[in-house]
Amino acid sequence: MTEHKKTGFLKRFFFSLDHKDIGFQYLLTAMFMAAFGGFFVYVFRYNLAFGPDDIPLYGNLAAKEYNQLVTNHGAIMIFWVGMPMVLAVLGNFLIPIMIGTDDMAFPLLNKISYWTFLLSCIVLLSGFLMPTGAFGGGWTMYPPLSVSDFGYNNPNTTFKANFFTGNTFFLMAVALEFISMLMGGINFIVTTLNKRAKGLSLMKLPIVVWMINIASLLFMFSVGPLIAGTFMLLMDILVGTGFFDAYRGGDPILWQHLFWFFGHPEVYVLLLPSLGVVGEIFSTFSRKPFFGYKMVIFLVLIAGILSLVVWAHHQFVSGIDPGAANIFSLLTIIISIPFAGMVLAYLGTLWRGDIKFTVPMMFALGMLASFTFFGGFTGLHLGSNVFDIYAHDTYFVIAHFHYTLFPSVILGGFAAIYYWYPKFSGRKLNKTLGKIHFWGTFIFFNSIFIPLFWLGLQGQHRRIFDYSNWDKLLMQPNHIMARQIATVSLIFLIITQFIFLFNFFKSLYKGKVAEKNPWKSNTLEWQASSPPGHGNFALYPAVYRWPYDYNHPDRDTDFLPQNEK
Amino acid sequence: MNFFPESNSSIALEIDNLFWIITGVVGIATVITLFLFVYPMITRKKKRTKIERYMVDFTHKHRIWLYTGMFLLLMGDLYILVKEHSIWQRVEQELPEPDFKIAIVGKQWMWEIIYPGPDGKLYTDDDVSAINNLHLPVNRVIHMDLKALDVIHSVFLPQSRFKQDVLPGRTITRWIKLNKEGKFDITCAEICGLGHSMMRGNLFVESEEEWKDSMDKIYGIKK
Amino acid sequence: MNTSINKKPTLRDIPQARLGVWILIAGEFVIFGGLIVAYLLYRFRYPEWAEMASHTNIVLGATNTFVLLTSSYFVVKAHDAAIKKDKNKITLYIGLTILSALIFLVVKITEYSQKIHHGFTFSGKELVEQGKHIESTYWGFYFLMTGLHAFHVIVGAIVLFIVMMGARKGKNYQRIEVAGLYWHMVDLIWIFLFPLLYIAN
Repeated sequence: MTEHKKTGFLKRFFFSLDHKDIGFQYLLTAMFMAAFGGFFVYVFRYNLAFGPDDIPLYGNLAAKEYNQLVTNHGAIMIFWVGMPMVLAVLGNFLIPIMIGTDDMAFPLLNKISYWTFLLSCIVLLSGFLMPTGAFGGGWTMYPPLSVSDFGYNNPNTTFKANFFTGNTFFLMAVALEFISMLMGGINFIVTTLNKRAKGLSLMKLPIVVWMINIASLLFMFSVGPLIAGTFMLLMDILVGTGFFDAYRGGDPILWQHLFWFFGHPEVYVLLLPSLGVVGEIFSTFSRKPFFGYKMVIFLVLIAGILSLVVWAHHQFVSGIDPGAANIFSLLTIIISIPFAGMVLAYLGTLWRGDIKFTVPMMFALGMLASFTFFGGFTGLHLGSNVFDIYAHDTYFVIAHFHYTLFPSVILGGFAAIYYWYPKFSGRKLNKTLGKIHFWGTFIFFNSIFIPLFWLGLQGQHRRIFDYSNWDKLLMQPNHIMARQIATVSLIFLIITQFIFLFNFFKSLYKGKVAEKNPWKSNTLEWQASSPPGHGNFALYPAVYRWPYDYNHPDRDTDFLPQNEK
Repeated sequence: MNFFPESNSSIALEIDNLFWIITGVVGIATVITLFLFVYPMITRKKKRTKIERYMVDFTHKHRIWLYTGMFLLLMGDLYILVKEHSIWQRVEQELPEPDFKIAIVGKQWMWEIIYPGPDGKLYTDDDVSAINNLHLPVNRVIHMDLKALDVIHSVFLPQSRFKQDVLPGRTITRWIKLNKEGKFDITCAEICGLGHSMMRGNLFVESEEEWKDSMDKIYGIKK
Repeated sequence: MNTSINKKPTLRDIPQARLGVWILIAGEFVIFGGLIVAYLLYRFRYPEWAEMASHTNIVLGATNTFVLLTSSYFVVKAHDAAIKKDKNKITLYIGLTILSALIFLVVKITEYSQKIHHGFTFSGKELVEQGKHIESTYWGFYFLMTGLHAFHVIVGAIVLFIVMMGARKGKNYQRIEVAGLYWHMVDLIWIFLFPLLYIAN
């Protein structure tokens, strides 16, 4: 550990191959990108509530910039905040140490994966410097709008002119990010299969390790066609091929299929690791064994497989065969069953528990509650193809998917940070600030999106710069007020995050020193010192039991680490 | 506080009803789940033995509880599916005989409405096109040929609960039957570039006589 | 009662590089699978494409198929040599494999220049000017799929070269097997592409 501190900043944050350092790099990069995503959403939400003029910290907003900000907010929050936060940060930091080994299977590949990710961030942000401005056609990149602003490739433009556009940079960034996460995913799966500690069979793995691996697998099997599609779309822009040009035999809907074949599993890629974190935290702070461990893994696998065949529920009104829409609606609504089972099993962990309201536990409860009650249940509304005719591309959809992604990425991510912070930094976060941060985040998050559900039902459609064209439909005093409540809540939500940043960075240097196992938890990472040195364990543990033996009747203590006989 | 905007089509009320049906199913599920959520938190201070807490064995009794929950939701799901299926079939899969046919073409950033002209047939020489203003008769089955010229748009009639993406190179035919006179909105629900938020049209639903008058005006027929 | 006894982290009996490459291969197949499915969807929709497919040079395509199949044989021989740690044979067989890759690329370039000469380009501009709008996209697929595959051939050849240099220094013999697996995948993808693009009309 002392050797750890001696290594210089540059060495630690740029060239280190250690999985914890790479995880930390991912975390910092994700926070950096989240600052952009957060700023973008502030600017365009301010416009929706109070008009485009004189936005504090920004100035006047034009329609074109509005589209760019909306597009990049979506892309950044999903690909550059969500993916690194729940997959790369958790996978890198947790997998090796939770399975009791020294590092990833391929440390160099891990490093390359991070560098590719960083490159993709730079490519994305440099899109804003292009002469045509950043890409503004929606984060789903539907062609032909993503080929050019006017829907076709002008044959007279040069390759160079086509290359230096926001569209090209956006697509390249997305492709690079996918490749980076693919490399990471290969690493996670190989590490888990091959480097588990002695005695740690698959059915003794912590639930979060299972979830990260299933998410990586899902990502791998769903992203391939979209990588191919990204190449095709790039060629449409750069060279002028006609893969998605309807007048040359191409089919714009093909892109939608490729995109959503990836897009739906992607939601679960973001959700599952976070559910894994919640599972760990529930078990630890209810002082109870994880309820229905095998059942949950089984249900996750079923939900994962189902998620590969429900993609067209994003396309009920996009011009697909209406007969097929019936099948997709059926499958989409049926996918609620495995999730119901999972949520019930999680609540089974809480049942009769000795619940301790620590900060990570509060975030975990908040995550599961908001995901289930609003995100999951409104999924039934939108899974119904009939109601989707009306709700498609309205704010109802926006509120729905923010209620699934925000809990997964942000609340789940914060739960993980608060839970594992003592381990990775060796110091404790301030509890009071943590609780203020939780309540601020939770309350303001809900007060942003509940009004948006109502606005969606009122027919407010997405990605509109200015609603004043619809004075009767969308400019009544109620509508304006709802938009303003959402925007003001958003501003408060962002302010609340500064409390976290202060707490995070201050505690890194000045926090109370944490003991080895502050939460009295069972999993292997708590057996390493805090922070773990290079190689994680001085002596590598052997495992004798599953990770959730809390309140074991034969023991005096209420916890029983995995490596105790 | 009203939840939906006013409605003007035969389908609109059915869609609104379906929303409440789903909300009902979800509401029951919410109450059950909320109880399971809150009860353990309220009773967390209760003294319990280790054996009471140590619910590691996934016993038969527990499994029954889990299966019951999943089964109840399955019943709710099936109820929703049964309810929605017939509506979907009528709206999207069947085309009743039309009384009148028009075409709507989305382009950046306007709606071009193509009326069949005095001969009543679309795609003949006497077709007349208008921009953004769509006049339709009340209580008639209307077929709409939906197209786009440049990028993807989406014809969204909020008060009719009607929406259909329109794609370049494709014609999609949908029907609609309006049951209320007045002025309503046509909006574009799919981002289509810079002027997306200016892409607005008016839907005028008129009685038979008024509609004939406005058609004559559009066709340039003087009486 | 901590029983942390092991001095080294445990490794299971799975050769981890091989496992990694298998997963990589699965990922690559999904990528090419996406392209192939997209191609087939269009192909069945447009009978015009059959006529375009008849413009491909089956002789050169078949030659390339033969070259790649032979190279796969060399890789297998190289793997045998690696088990025996026979440096000279490793150099010989991997050298032959890389040579096959070069022949493949030369044939590919010949083919491409023929196509471009006849006005069948990647962008399909020439065909669009002739009014053959739908046909032009066939060549988009042709060049994208074969080009992406050729890129894999280049990467595979470079990897094989690096592995060979390592083996000549007498280390990392096991890498030959892994690189060989990757090479077989490159070969197999071509086996899919060849009939789809060249033969089926």
